Amino acid sequence: MQKNESKSNNAIIVMQNVGIRYGQGPEVLSDISLSLPRGSFHFLTGRSGAGKTSLLSMMYLAQKPSRGIVQVFGRNINFTNRDSLSLLRRKIGVVFQDFRLLEHLSAFDNVALPLRICGMNEREVKKRVTELLQWVELDRNMYAKTSTLSGGEKQRTAIARAVINRPDLLLADEPTGNVDNDIAPKLMKLFVELNKLGTTVVIATHSEKLITDFAFPRLHLQNHGLKVYEPYDFTGINIGNRLEKGGRP
Amino acid sequence: MSNNNATDFISRKQELPLNDDSSSLFLQIMISISVFIFAITLAGVLSINSMLRNWNDSILGSLTVQIMPVNSSDRDKAAADTLENQKKVIEYLESVAEIEKVTPLSDEQLEKLIQPWLGDGIEIGNLPVPRLIDVKIKKGETLDFGVLAENLAQVSPLASIDNHKLWLNKLIRFADGLKMLALSILFLVILVTSGAIFYSTQTSLGLHRYIIEILHTMGAKDAYIAQQYARRTGWLALVGGVIGVVLSIPTIFLIASLAEQIEGGIISGAHLSAESWVTILILPLFAVMIAMFTAYYTVKRTLEKMI
Repeated sequence: MQKNESKSNNAIIVMQNVGIRYGQGPEVLSDISLSLPRGSFHFLTGRSGAGKTSLLSMMYLAQKPSRGIVQVFGRNINFTNRDSLSLLRRKIGVVFQDFRLLEHLSAFDNVALPLRICGMNEREVKKRVTELLQWVELDRNMYAKTSTLSGGEKQRTAIARAVINRPDLLLADEPTGNVDNDIAPKLMKLFVELNKLGTTVVIATHSEKLITDFAFPRLHLQNHGLKVYEPYDFTGINIGNRLEKGGRP
Repeated sequence: MSNNNATDFISRKQELPLNDDSSSLFLQIMISISVFIFAITLAGVLSINSMLRNWNDSILGSLTVQIMPVNSSDRDKAAADTLENQKKVIEYLESVAEIEKVTPLSDEQLEKLIQPWLGDGIEIGNLPVPRLIDVKIKKGETLDFGVLAENLAQVSPLASIDNHKLWLNKLIRFADGLKMLALSILFLVILVTSGAIFYSTQTSLGLHRYIIEILHTMGAKDAYIAQQYARRTGWLALVGGVIGVVLSIPTIFLIASLAEQIEGGIISGAHLSAESWVTILILPLFAVMIAMFTAYYTVKRTLEKMI
């Protein structure tokens, strides 16, 4: 019991018997129980419609569970008020599959958003945003409206926005789906570097390459439930004969 | 916040593109009209107040003593007796400490008073017309009208007092009614304007829900979003309010000049003091306060229910 408690104290996210249903429909997720230790790195896999987005939205506090307990940074989100939830969200970076950029703003202003929301002074905002945009090779399009950027550029902007505040928890939904082959490893390297600095990372992906290239445990959603697989255990995903036999990539 | 930061903050593009909202122009016109109506009605209320003050100062500080004509078949004797009564009354009134000035109305003044009813060319001496004495009471002094009436009756049984209370009370009641009506209009204008801001803000929140959800995801509190709405609505109210006040000024002068043409001198006391003009000129700031307050709390309350 004591061991469990200390484990729970060290966890960024704890879920116990969590279920999500929309309206009167069936449960999209049932009896989900998990604990994400601080500083861990997980892939989140599962077929389309398995509930990856619902699970992620609960992790970034956009949704409360229909039943069960969700604790984020040690706070039960069912009993946390709106302003406190906002403060918790500031510790979370999110990369959406559809980017969710503010199209009327420039890449710079989009990336600067989390810092400005925290009330950071503009000089520091400018310094940090410029630095990061240079790193993701967007410095030339820094002041272009995001509506004029390519898919890959939008994705890099979305990733830069998610990591600019050095979040404690980074959640990414297909973060390398739209980027060129040469930029994808660079972005993954950024996530890994952040993880080494202490950020807990969860990446939802369908990319077999990503899962095989990086040795991280996997949260797999199937039949409304969740199973945790150790690195290099590719059960439940189709990534070729060699990997299904359990061999290393 | 340093100067540079303040400039950056002002020049940077707002996360919520509220400037592009189609309801902005409607809201600005609505606020202009509201402030215009508010300014004119407020000018009316302030004028009525100043009118009431003037009446109080000029009428309540005075009274009229009436001496009924002596009834006698000898017209000359009757006129002489009446004047004798008037003289005694004047002497008594001048001896009262609280009274500042006693002025009997001359024949010409009496003729002027009855002219509207009896026409020109009246010989006042030929008519059994009461003599009137205008009495001014010293400022700050209170006179017991009951005691004065009793003493006057002893000096002359023909004398009686009119302290204007009856008709003044009617006028004050009428003015108070007008004031209540004007205040109801002011209240309605505030209510309608706040309602328009409420619905326009709600529509805008629905329109920008997508952006608001993104801002929430990044940790923006409801207050952060509410402040953006309050700033934008406040600006619209300032511009709309200034337009409304500027348009109301010539209208107020026009109404004032029309009111002055009304005979009887009743409306002449209705003028706007410097303080009243200042009150009217700061109306845009009042509009800004109401607009910002309404927008802020609409956002806060709506977001709690919406997301």
